[in-house]
Amino acid sequence: MASTESTSAPPPSRPLSPHLGVYRLTLTMAMSGAHRIAGMALAVGVLLLAWFLIATSMDASAFSVFSAFIQSIVGRLALFAFTWALFHHMLGGVRHLIWDAGYGLDDPEREQLTWATLIGGFALTLIVWAVGYAVR
Amino acid sequence: MADVGKTLRTPLRRVRYLGSARLGTDDNWRVHATAVALVPLTIAFVWLVLSLLHKDYNGVRAELSHPIPAIVLLLFVLAGLYHMQFGVRAIILDYAHGRAREWALVANAFFAVALGLACVYAVLRIGFV
Repeated sequence: MASTESTSAPPPSRPLSPHLGVYRLTLTMAMSGAHRIAGMALAVGVLLLAWFLIATSMDASAFSVFSAFIQSIVGRLALFAFTWALFHHMLGGVRHLIWDAGYGLDDPEREQLTWATLIGGFALTLIVWAVGYAVR
Repeated sequence: MADVGKTLRTPLRRVRYLGSARLGTDDNWRVHATAVALVPLTIAFVWLVLSLLHKDYNGVRAELSHPIPAIVLLLFVLAGLYHMQFGVRAIILDYAHGRAREWALVANAFFAVALGLACVYAVLRIGFV
């Protein structure tokens, strides 16, 4: 086993396996990235949820600070982005569960499923915000 | 690695359990299990937020003092943060290397545990205090 003795030597330069750059960008590839970005956005957005819960558990003045922020333009934009990231990531996750179960991997279904989750994420976001503004 | 020739341990013993085998499938299963749980929990969470939207402090406190909204919040936060921690870790392992990766993994774990504890404490305090 001569190969085990090369561990202390610097690795020789070897050809790298082809990475993202060599492939034509497809919808499913772009949505893979969007799924991660939405997931990271949720990891940041959960700070808003923690702020809300902690402020509510304290007193009325702490709650009013959060309430004023979330009703401001920046707060509403952050909440809108959080809503979209939540639905986009949720539907993307359902798509991955369907794929992992072995369904919808073939040519037309694959793209249709991806379009459905992309459009569905925006649609659910708009519906929820419409309900939020309409119902009092 | 300079002591490769001086150790009695075989090369196989030195690398065994250092790869992704075994642990990889376990992580994958936990990500999927929490993902399945989070679909209904997310819908319930959005429903709850919509019901809180136009309430004042006392109204929000009263709503979250009920067991069902509180339990929905606890499940959503715990399943969500556990799921989050796996996802962020996967991103760190893809893009961070060396010492930066180690610190990022520690920060990821601290972030998830601290937020989880804070949210659970807050929900319980709303219900019991």
